Formats: sequence, structure tokens, C-alpha cells
Amino acid sequence: MADQVDSMSDAELRTKLAEHGFPIMPITASTRKLLVKKLKLVLDNKSKPRNSVDSKVESRRSLARYSSGEESDLDASNAKDKRGGRRSKVGGSMLPPASSKTRHIPVKKDSPVKPDSDKGSESDEEKSPVRIREKVETITTRQIKRTYTNDQDDYETGSDSDVDGDKKTSTPYRSNSRASDHISSTLPTANASTSPPKPSLYTIPSISSTNYSSPILSSSDHLNSIRSRLGLTSTLADRPSVSSYISDYTSNNVDEVESPYLNNFTRRLSSLKSDPPKTSTFLDQDTNNGSTVLPRRSYMTGVTRSADVVDYKSVNDKKFLKNNLVSLALVVLVALFFFCLFFMYLVKKNDIASVVDDQNSLIPICQLNIPGNRPGINCVPREHVSYAKDLLKVIHPELTTRIASYQCGKPGALPYLTEKEIIDIASSRAEMVDVSQCRTDLNNLQVLIVNNPRWGLSVVQLKNLYTKDVEYTPITSVDIVVQQRNKGSVAITLTDPSTPISCLFVNTLYSAGSTFIIVGLISVVILGLQRFYKYYVRYQKKKSEEIYSMVEQIIDIISQETEDSGEPYISVDHVRDTLISPQNREKMASTWDAAVKFIQTNESRVRMEVQSVDGEDCRVWRWISPHGSPKRSAAWQGQAFETQEGSVNNLTVSPTPCLKIRHMFDKNDTNPNLRSVIQDAILEKCGDRCNILHIDIDRASCCVYVKCSTTIDAGVVYRSLHGWWYEGRLITVKYLRLERYMQRFPNSPSTGPFLKPSRRR
Amino acid sequence: MSSTSQKHRNFVAEPMGEKPVTDLAGVGEVLGKRLETAGFDKAYVVLGQFLVLKKDKELFQEWMKETCSANSKQSSDCYECLKDWCDEFL
Repeated sequence: MADQVDSMSDAELRTKLAEHGFPIMPITASTRKLLVKKLKLVLDNKSKPRNSVDSKVESRRSLARYSSGEESDLDASNAKDKRGGRRSKVGGSMLPPASSKTRHIPVKKDSPVKPDSDKGSESDEEKSPVRIREKVETITTRQIKRTYTNDQDDYETGSDSDVDGDKKTSTPYRSNSRASDHISSTLPTANASTSPPKPSLYTIPSISSTNYSSPILSSSDHLNSIRSRLGLTSTLADRPSVSSYISDYTSNNVDEVESPYLNNFTRRLSSLKSDPPKTSTFLDQDTNNGSTVLPRRSYMTGVTRSADVVDYKSVNDKKFLKNNLVSLALVVLVALFFFCLFFMYLVKKNDIASVVDDQNSLIPICQLNIPGNRPGINCVPREHVSYAKDLLKVIHPELTTRIASYQCGKPGALPYLTEKEIIDIASSRAEMVDVSQCRTDLNNLQVLIVNNPRWGLSVVQLKNLYTKDVEYTPITSVDIVVQQRNKGSVAITLTDPSTPISCLFVNTLYSAGSTFIIVGLISVVILGLQRFYKYYVRYQKKKSEEIYSMVEQIIDIISQETEDSGEPYISVDHVRDTLISPQNREKMASTWDAAVKFIQTNESRVRMEVQSVDGEDCRVWRWISPHGSPKRSAAWQGQAFETQEGSVNNLTVSPTPCLKIRHMFDKNDTNPNLRSVIQDAILEKCGDRCNILHIDIDRASCCVYVKCSTTIDAGVVYRSLHGWWYEGRLITVKYLRLERYMQRFPNSPSTGPFLKPSRRR
Repeated sequence: MSSTSQKHRNFVAEPMGEKPVTDLAGVGEVLGKRLETAGFDKAYVVLGQFLVLKKDKELFQEWMKETCSANSKQSSDCYECLKDWCDEFL
């Protein structure tokens, strides 16, 4: 393989590299060698594991990454080498147009694992069905597994019944479930009779596939048959790629796949010694479910698969019901209990008769031999007790409705019945009863109610008879009742009125609503306050920022104007008018005032004073800056002695245009672009006042040589550099004869262009 | 990489023009000689190779190793240098 790579053409090499997930790049004379080497490396890596890796390990690893179908593919390839050739051809013809770098990386990482590189070489179109197949197959394996474990005990009983030759399992449900059991049970036996269920389930596809020529297809088909036996093909059928795929090949492979399987199955069945008719039904169902495309099978019967599916489902439902019967019953019982409780509560509340007729009620019977007894005041004549109770039963519903409507907030409703109303009600109910009779009964009733607080009624004294006020106080002794009775301000009400549910609901809603509104209002207020505070803070910040920027602008203007115009001061109003446009002046007045105030108090470089400008006194700002050269280079630290005209250090005439500058750097300076640094420093210092032709440095003697265009320029340079401190070193400048300079730098230019400071500062 | 060498900064600072190959970071005199004998006398020729290899670090380093037996640091420096230059000027 490696020799081939060397002799490959450029195009072949490119193809090959792309196959292995490399980015396609131009193959030139200089890159070819590199790419060939790379390809060789990859090929070496690939061929190694294929030969040496333990087949078990590989199968497990590939199982983890691939479906069983893929794995069987690998197994087949292991057996025969010619597959490699085919694969490469396929890869060559189905090249991805341009593989990305991301694809490149995983391939490289996993290059020892053979399946990966295989996969990388496959085109995208081929990849997607594979992926789907994987998914489907893993799903089915899981389902098979589950069925197996679920039905394990069923299977036991099934096989028992087989051995016993039990014939009672003739209902479709039983036989169907058994059929599925047998499928799951035959899976392990196909491999080894004693192996545990799980691993054997895994290995089945690979084993079956090694026997056949096109392994992927057969194994997937195999699984498909199992799946269909379990009635699970519906999901599979939805995937066009897989289903078409299968339908293409089933006709070729089903026979081969099916027969060993059936062989196993029948062998097992015969070993179990079941009666002949049952075996045939099993076979029927098996073949029906498993291979719908097997018209050649003579024992094909009319059993449809859909029926099986339904049966299978019903089996599951029944099982579920059976398992959860107790818990369901418990839940139902509890619900029932609470419902009864609720119902009883409702009923009990409304039933006044039972309360009144209770034997435990305290009824003071009038006895003639006790002197203090007065009927209707503190005792009740025996024969009138039942009348009084009847009266109560008559008025109780009316009282209940009244209180209900009162509590529902109906306007005008009162939560009690006055004596007069009671008598009206009583006389309207029973026409024969005369009013005095009613009166007596009412008196008796009042006595009874006072004596029996348990009845849930109370006699009350109204505070205000003629208004609609509902204030009242309960009366606890009969004597007061008698007193109030004359005033006509006695009424009967319920002590513990129950609100109807609808009213309760509405009331709750109302109160909840009002609470919500209050909470909402409060939160809105708080939110508003917070907003306002935030806004205020932001406004303040903005304002102060404005002021600061204004101050900066003012100072800029003052320093600039005073520098430019030569006058050391500038009118305040003039500054304002330059800074703020006319339409903004009113608006910015406060900012301006604040800025002026700030400058007055906090700015030391500006002093405000009153000057007469054009005969008019106005406020001015004076710029007090000791030396107005803010653009001074940091490297030039100041002058040690005077070089201006007239000083001793100044030569009146510059003898030559060449200069030699000492001490601008020292020997230890290892800066590689020292020359440009120094050149910049000199050019900056001298500025535009002179024309410099050439600057060079001599590292050995620590000298800088400068050649100017004229002697006058050299004088300017001399004056601006001599006696200055540069980075902590005092610089001395001397004139140099032009001949000496030309000796040293024969290539130095004699005319322009002049040096300019380099852009990078 | 937190800091780069002065050579790197110098190279990346401006268009490479006709700079010799030794101006590349990671390429000293020895490597420069070897590259020149291999035909890569200017920095822009190396840049061409760098671009032909599609700025792939691994391949470029491999190539450097092949052509002038650069060690991994040298080739990595050179790669970074060219990459930064490309980011700046290409």
C-alpha cells in the first residue's frame, strides 16, 4: 500500500487524502512529499489494528458505536481481504465534495479504530441511512430485551404447559403471548443453551450474519423479522429509507435467514415434545409474523399481524390492571371516604329537625307545683313543646335563606327574623292557627332556644329597630327576653351561620380581588418611586457628566485660544458662545453655570478676573500655565545649560553640517531597533525647523551621527540637543567635519528626501 | 501565548515587502540558510507555502521540519508569526 502511495498521481493522492478526511489542498512540488508522508502514516495506523486486535474486543467496541448490522459488516470484512479493495473503490467514487476541518479531527483521533476511518470514507448520503438503521436496531434490541424479561415467568409456565401437553391454552391471547415468549426464548438458544439472555441477544446478529454473503442486510432483516414477530414494525415502516432498503433485499435473504432460525425453533419445539397441532400453530404464527414476504411457505394461514398487535396490546393492558388492582382500589376507597364525609357534612348542617328532636335537648317543662314557673317565660308547657318545635322547623329554612342572602351581600337582607316576621310566616303557612297561638308558640320557642344553645340558634336584641342596621347583641337569659319582648326588639338568628358555597366563592373572589388590587397599587407605587429614584440618579449622573465634559471643553478652548491668539485671557461669554450653539444656550444655562462654578473652585490653571475688553468690563479667564508645551516627549527630560543665542555654550556660526552626538545610549542597550528609536527622538526634538539627511549610530563608541542639509540646520540641531537630558543621560553635541563623516558613512545621501519621524509613536 | 518575541512583533507590525526569510520569527541564521538553499529566500515565499498549506498548523510545522529541520518551537513561532501577519494584512 505504501509503495502505491509513492507512485500515485496528484489527483489520486488528493482523492485518497480526502477519503481519509484531510482538507483538500493543492499538491505542488513542495507539498507533495508532505502529503504522501501523511497518507502513509494514516494508512499504517489503519492497517495495524485490523490485524492485531482481538476480535472480541473489537466487536464489543464496535457494538458500542455501531448497530449490530455495522458490526457484522466488519466481521465479514475481517474474513475476506478483497473487501478492502471494494471499499476503497466505493469511497473513491463517492467522494465528499469538500470535507471540513471538523471532520478531519475526529478521524485523526480515532484512526487506530478501523470502523471510524471506514465511516469517514463513506459519503453523506450513505451515512444517513446507516445512522437510522442503527437507531432502529438499538430500539428493537431494547424492546426485545424488555419483552424477554417481562415475560420470563410467562415463558416458564408456557414451557411447562408444553411439557405437560396441557391443551387448555387455546385462547388466542394465550397462544399469542406464548409465541412472543418463544421468540425471545429462542434467541438465547440459537447461540448456546445455557448462556444468559442479554449477551446472547447481542451476539445474535453477528452470528447469523457471518453465515451469509451480505451481512448488513441479513442481520438487519433478521432483526426486522424478530421485530415484526413482536408486532413492532409499525415504527419501522414509517422510515422510508429503511423500509425500502429492507424490501429490496428481503426477497433474496429471507429464505436464508429464516430457515436456520426456524430450524432452531422447530428443533427446540420438538425437544420440548409438544403435541403436533400446537406446533403447527406456533409455526404458523411465527412465519406469518416474521416474514410476510414468504408466499412459498405452504403452511401460511390467514392470521393477520394486526390482530396480533391488538392482542399483544390487550395482554399488556390486562397485566397492568392486574398488577395495579390493589393500589387503584385503595385510591378509589379513599376518594369515596372523603366524598361521603363531605356529603354527610353538607346534609348534617341543614338538618334542623334532627337537632331539635334530639333527646339530649334541655326542655324546661312547666310543672304546676313549682311556684316560679311561668309558661312562655322560663318554662314550656309539655303540650306546647311540639308546637314550638314545629314553629322552629317552619321558620328555620326561611331564616337560613335570609342569612345566606345577607352574607351574599344582597342589599336589604337582614340576618335575622323579628317576632313580627315569624308570626307572619307562621300564620301564612298554617292558616287555621290564630295569631295568639303563634305568639305563645314563639314565646315557648324563645325559651327553648335560650336553654339550648346547641341548636345553633340564638335570641338577640336588636340595637336599632327602625334602621337597617344589623347590629344586635345575643340574649342569654329569659328575663331579658321578656323585657325586650315588650319593646318588640327581639329577633331570632343563627349563631353559626353557614355561607352557601357559591357565595363563599364569590366573597373569596371579592376579597382576593381587593387584596390583589391593594397589593398591585402598593407595588405600582413602590415601582414608580424606584423608577423615579433611578431616573433621578441617572439624571444627576448625566448632568455631572455634562458638566465635566463642559469643563474639559472650556479648558481646552482656553488653553488653545490663549496659545493661538497670544492674549493670556479669554472672555467667559466668548467661550460659552463658541461652545454652545444659540438654540441650546437657554437649555444649557444651568450646565454652563455649574461648569463655570466648577472651574472657579476646582481649576488651578484658570483664573477668573474682570478685564476691560474693547472698553467693556467683562469676566475673563486667564490661562495660568507655567510652560505651555504639553506635547513634550517623555524621553527629553530637560535642559542642563543654556544654549540659546548669546550664551557661552552657543557657537555663533556652525562650521559644518555634520554632528556627532554622545551619550544618547550606552553600551548595554540591546534594543534591536535602537537606531529608529534614536532617530525618532532626534527628529521629534528638532521638529520641522531643520532638515536632516541622515542619522546613524555607532554602537561601539555610543555615538549618534547626524548629517543635516545645511550648516544652519546643523546649528538648529546643535542648539536643540546640546546640553539636554535624554533618558537620564546628559547629551553633548559636537560638530564633525564633512570629510570625516563621508569617510565613515560613504553611502549617506547628500540631498533630500529629508528624514521624517516614523509613524509609530 | 501571552507574549511574543520582539522579532515577531517587528514582523507583524508592517507589510513584509522584500524582507528576507530570516526576519520571520523562529527562523534564525541557520534555518534561514537552509530555507534559502531550498529556494525559500524571501519571507513571502514562505508565506506562499504557508498559504498553499491552507494555514494548517500541523502541516506547516511538518513542512518546516522537512525542509529545514526546524524544531517544534521554531516552526510554531514561524507559524504564529505568519498567521498573525495574515490576520493583520491579508
